[in-house]
Amino acid sequence: MIAWTGRKTVEGLEFVAAVLVLGFSAVRELFSPARRGRGEVFRVITRQILFTGVDALPVVGAIALMLGLIIIIQAGTTLPQVGAGAFLAKIIELTVVRELGPLLTAFIVIWRSGTAICTELGNMQVGQEIAALDAMGISLVRFLVMPRVAGMIVAMVCLTIYFDLIAIVGGFLVAKVHLTIPIQVYLEEIEEALSASDVLITVIKSVLFGFAIAVICCHHGLSVVSSTTEVPQQTTRAMLNTVTVCMVTDIIVSVWFYL
Amino acid sequence: MAEAAITLDRVSANDGDQALVEDISFTVQQGEAVALVGSNASGKGLVLRLCAGLEPPSSGTVRVLGADPARATEEQLLALRQRVGFVFAKPALISNMTVFNNVALPLRYHTVVPETEIQERVLARLTECGVAAFRDRMPADLTLGDARQAALARAMVMDPDILCVDEVLLGLDAEELVRLRKILEQYRRAGRPTIVATVNAPTSLLRVMDRLVLLRDGRLVASCPPAEAPLVADPMVQDFWGS
Repeated sequence: MIAWTGRKTVEGLEFVAAVLVLGFSAVRELFSPARRGRGEVFRVITRQILFTGVDALPVVGAIALMLGLIIIIQAGTTLPQVGAGAFLAKIIELTVVRELGPLLTAFIVIWRSGTAICTELGNMQVGQEIAALDAMGISLVRFLVMPRVAGMIVAMVCLTIYFDLIAIVGGFLVAKVHLTIPIQVYLEEIEEALSASDVLITVIKSVLFGFAIAVICCHHGLSVVSSTTEVPQQTTRAMLNTVTVCMVTDIIVSVWFYL
Repeated sequence: MAEAAITLDRVSANDGDQALVEDISFTVQQGEAVALVGSNASGKGLVLRLCAGLEPPSSGTVRVLGADPARATEEQLLALRQRVGFVFAKPALISNMTVFNNVALPLRYHTVVPETEIQERVLARLTECGVAAFRDRMPADLTLGDARQAALARAMVMDPDILCVDEVLLGLDAEELVRLRKILEQYRRAGRPTIVATVNAPTSLLRVMDRLVLLRDGRLVASCPPAEAPLVADPMVQDFWGS
């Protein structure tokens, strides 16, 4: 038991160290003045934004709408019964903007794009494409990891803001059938409840989530050695680790700013 | 005398405790064409990767174009990689790029030449390798032979000083074999690049080579011109030529 605990602890520390090193290398490449491969790298970044951001708009919009609808219906019908109808906007701001928006967007991105990144890089390892890139002198961090990190961060920030907007406005419009609050009043209350720091913290969370998802999924994809059976194993690990890291990051950021 | 293109000096390479290649020494001069000949699992693939500087030795010294890849800085290694073209046994083309974009990738990444020149150079290499007609296809749509020819075009597009080809016969039909022999003969006449290829069966391609390095169980058996190879007194070599 002690040996198992020790082994798992060492493995955990090695994982954290490897991910931090990969993340640091990606950030260094992002701000590197080197002109090498700029066009190709830019192409990979735009493709990542397109895949993670633009292509995910329908699914993110649908989930945001359903979440907004659920929260607005529950809060809009329960709060007036206890004389707290004026807190509807505050409840929306607390649940959607501060917590569920960034977190649920991260989960959607993890299961859509995180799995895709891990699988793609894993299959590239098996097909010796990674070895071929290395043999051509093409930096794996510059060509594969950094563009995915940059694209993922941009897409995460945009998707989170989109998620919040759809959940707040769309959810209200759908719930309007059963509620009596005018939209103008509702939006004014939201505006009053929402501070600049809330928006800033949401953006900070999405940047951290995007960074964590991309780096961890790249790490697991590149950890595949030679067999196709390793690809789903690494993808499963990537999912578990990214969800855990996003939850822990969310707690840390929330505690840091709100406690 | 010009510096050797590749020098292996008492090189060994291990996988954990298991020795895969032991005490190998040979030199490849600039412009020379050398075939690493041996059966499967003779270690020739690993020796080829050592020659290209893709694998560090566990002992001994490897020098490629005057540099020691095991001790080179990242920048030196990057410069070296651009001067060595490598064709893997698997074609290893990037699966989400067309054949054209695969071949253009090293040029687009390492150079700032205009796109028109890239188009010309890539098309010239694709035509030379007989796969220009497949320029817009994805790698998954190619036969193994065509994919390897495209990989050869990609390895040659930067005009490397050394060309390393692993399992040179893999996936080639008779027509492709003749085309490849002509390409290699053309390179030989031009005096560059230096060619190192692994071969696991007797083939007419060996006639193009200046020298054969015969390997068995990770050890060097002999290094000699193709004409002298059948005379080497070794059971593996005798079996190889006898077959």
